[in-house]
Amino acid sequence: MTSPTAQLRPPEADPGGTASHRVRGINHMAFPTFDPVGTIGFYRDVLGLPLVQTMQVKAWGPEYQRDFVHFFFDIGNADCLAFFYYFGQEPYRDENRPPLLDLGQHVALHVDTLADLDGFAKRIEDAGLRIDMRVMHETVESIYVRDPNDILIEIARPLRELTAADAVDAKVTAQALLDVLATDGEPTLDALWARKAELIAAQVPAGKGAP
Amino acid sequence: MTTLYFLDAAEFTGVSAVAAAQPGVRVERLRGYVTITSDGPLVIDRRATGVRHSVWYSALAAVGHGRVVQYDKDALKVEPDP
Repeated sequence: MTSPTAQLRPPEADPGGTASHRVRGINHMAFPTFDPVGTIGFYRDVLGLPLVQTMQVKAWGPEYQRDFVHFFFDIGNADCLAFFYYFGQEPYRDENRPPLLDLGQHVALHVDTLADLDGFAKRIEDAGLRIDMRVMHETVESIYVRDPNDILIEIARPLRELTAADAVDAKVTAQALLDVLATDGEPTLDALWARKAELIAAQVPAGKGAP
Repeated sequence: MTTLYFLDAAEFTGVSAVAAAQPGVRVERLRGYVTITSDGPLVIDRRATGVRHSVWYSALAAVGHGRVVQYDKDALKVEPDP
């Protein structure tokens, strides 16, 4: 559940090649909500994220469409976390979602400092909510809390900046995964480790040790 | 001959340092990795590394010519391919 994007990114650092594309963060992520009271209370009042845009919309388009309110919370960098509340829509929840998939899908908000992270932990606990986990990952320290929609919200602060070595490793790992998946054998972590070693060795002649 | 690869990053230095301290191993730095090469089995005691669980289980980046036979809360053990 580490977020590789949740890093300090000073303008001069470009380990992953941000200059090679034109995307500049998340414009917004949107989720449906059946609990706008809880959702506004959680994001606006508990986390302190201001509402910066709302739309009230008369149903149009596909026949299943309903009148709705679309509301946007500022999450920094001019990025937003957004929700749809559909009038008259019966609540739906997938009770059969496997726990692994449930944990895998989450939203990670970035804060810069330990004081920021502690501040959010206090706000959450002062509101009587439970912090599910606090974890020191490889490159971020994170707290986890469920929002009123049962979305897992991670708040992460960087432990170090990403480096060129991280970016090289990411490329090698991804290629190894693609190679393993392209073979007839069962894809396993053991196979990935072995393929990564082959790829690294192929790029680095034996005995040429240079950082 | 087995080679273990660890990303040359601060969070993994405890692991690679314990691996490097084993007798008879060769330690190199290659393009962002610390590599530990041995003719025999390699065993790293987790508690000796001092790293937290969340880092321990992601420390191993790659394995050349070897097989991971143990990777749990106690140790990482890799044996050479026959």
